[in-house]
Amino acid sequence: MENKTPLSPHIQIYKWHISSLVSISHRITGIINIIVITFICLLASLLVFGENNYEFLNSFLSSLIGKFFILGVTWSFSFQILSEIRHLIMDLGYGFQLRTTKITGLIVILGSIILTIAFYLIGKNFF
Amino acid sequence: MVQINLSDNSKVSKGKYFTDKTGSKNLRKVNVYRWDPSTGENPRIDTYEVDMDNCPSKVLDILNKIKNEIDPTLTYRRSCAHGVCGSCAMNMGGKNGLACTTPHAGIKGDIDIYPLPHLKVKKDLIGDLDGLYKQYQSIEPWLKSNSKSETKEIIQSKEDRAKLDGAYECIMCACCSTSCPSYWWNGDKYLGPAVLLQAYRWIVDSRDEERQARLKKVADELKLYRCHTILNCTSACPKGLNPAKAIAEIKKMLATANI
Repeated sequence: MENKTPLSPHIQIYKWHISSLVSISHRITGIINIIVITFICLLASLLVFGENNYEFLNSFLSSLIGKFFILGVTWSFSFQILSEIRHLIMDLGYGFQLRTTKITGLIVILGSIILTIAFYLIGKNFF
Repeated sequence: MVQINLSDNSKVSKGKYFTDKTGSKNLRKVNVYRWDPSTGENPRIDTYEVDMDNCPSKVLDILNKIKNEIDPTLTYRRSCAHGVCGSCAMNMGGKNGLACTTPHAGIKGDIDIYPLPHLKVKKDLIGDLDGLYKQYQSIEPWLKSNSKSETKEIIQSKEDRAKLDGAYECIMCACCSTSCPSYWWNGDKYLGPAVLLQAYRWIVDSRDEERQARLKKVADELKLYRCHTILNCTSACPKGLNPAKAIAEIKKMLATANI
C-alpha cells in the first residue's frame, strides 16, 4: 500500500443542470460586479482631476472593448438581480420543486439576456 | 478548501479493454472506475463491451453481468436491488443515483460509472462514508423526550405526523451529500444535505422535546449556511425527497425563532 487512497472524481464528472449553472454564475457575476463597481468609481473619480480625463473616458467607452465592457456589465448586473430575486423567493421556502427550479432558472438566464438587450435599446433611444 | 483538480494519486488513467465474447450485435460500452488498493497504482477506467440483448433494464444489472460473466474482480456494494437499502449508490452518466433503480436506457452514449464523488475510495466503486456517518451521529438522530412517560405511547396528531413525510423516507444512501459541491469543498464542517434532512426530521417531530437545542446545534455558518441552493441534492435523490427545501426550512425557523 505505497499509494495513498485516491479521492473519487467530483466536479470533473458531475453533470451540470440549470440550477447548478445559475448558482455558480450567481457567484461569478457577484465577484465581477464588485470589481466593476470599484472600477466605475475609479473612472468617475478621474473626472474630478480635469477635463482631459473626460476625453479619455469617452474614447474608452466608445471603443470596441469599452462597448463589450458595458454590455458585459449590463448582463452581469441583470443576471445578479434576477438570480437574487430567485434566491429571495427560495429563502422564503418557495420554489424548491425540481420543475419549478428549472423554470425559474431558465427565466433568470433568458431574462438576463432580454434585460441586457432592453437596456441596450433604451441606451440607443429605441423606445 | 476548493480543490478543483484531482491530486496526483487520484488522477485516472485508461485501463483495460474487455472485448465482447458473445458475438452479440447489440453492444454498449461501459466505462467503470477501478482502483485496487493492493497494487499501489493510480485509479483507471476499464471499458467493457456488454451484450444488451441479455441484460435487464437497470445499471446494477449491467454491473452484475460484468461481475458474473466478464470480470469477477469488479467490486461494488449492493444488497436489496429495489431501492430500499441504499447500498448501490454511485455516479452513473454524471449523476448520482442508486444503480438498482437507474435505467441504463436513460443514459446516452457510453455508460460511465464512478463511485460517489469526492470520497476516499476503498476499492473500485466503494467510497468511504465514515465521515458522513459521524456527522449523522452528531445530530443525535433519536427521539428525546424526558418528561413523558416511557411506558406509554406518545400521541401525535395526523397533522404533526404529516410533517415528517418527505423526511423520514430517507435511506441514507449519500447520493445527495456526495453530489453537493459545497459538501465537496467543506465536507469536514458542512453537514451536507443528507444529515441536514435528518436534522430537520427530528426538529419538526412534535414528540421531540429538544427542538430548541437541535436548532441551536445546526445554527452555524459552516454546518448549515454552506447550502447555496445549487440543488444537486434534490435532483440526485433516488427517493424523490427534497433536502434543499428541508435546509431552507431550517434556515427559516432559525430566522424566525427566538433562540
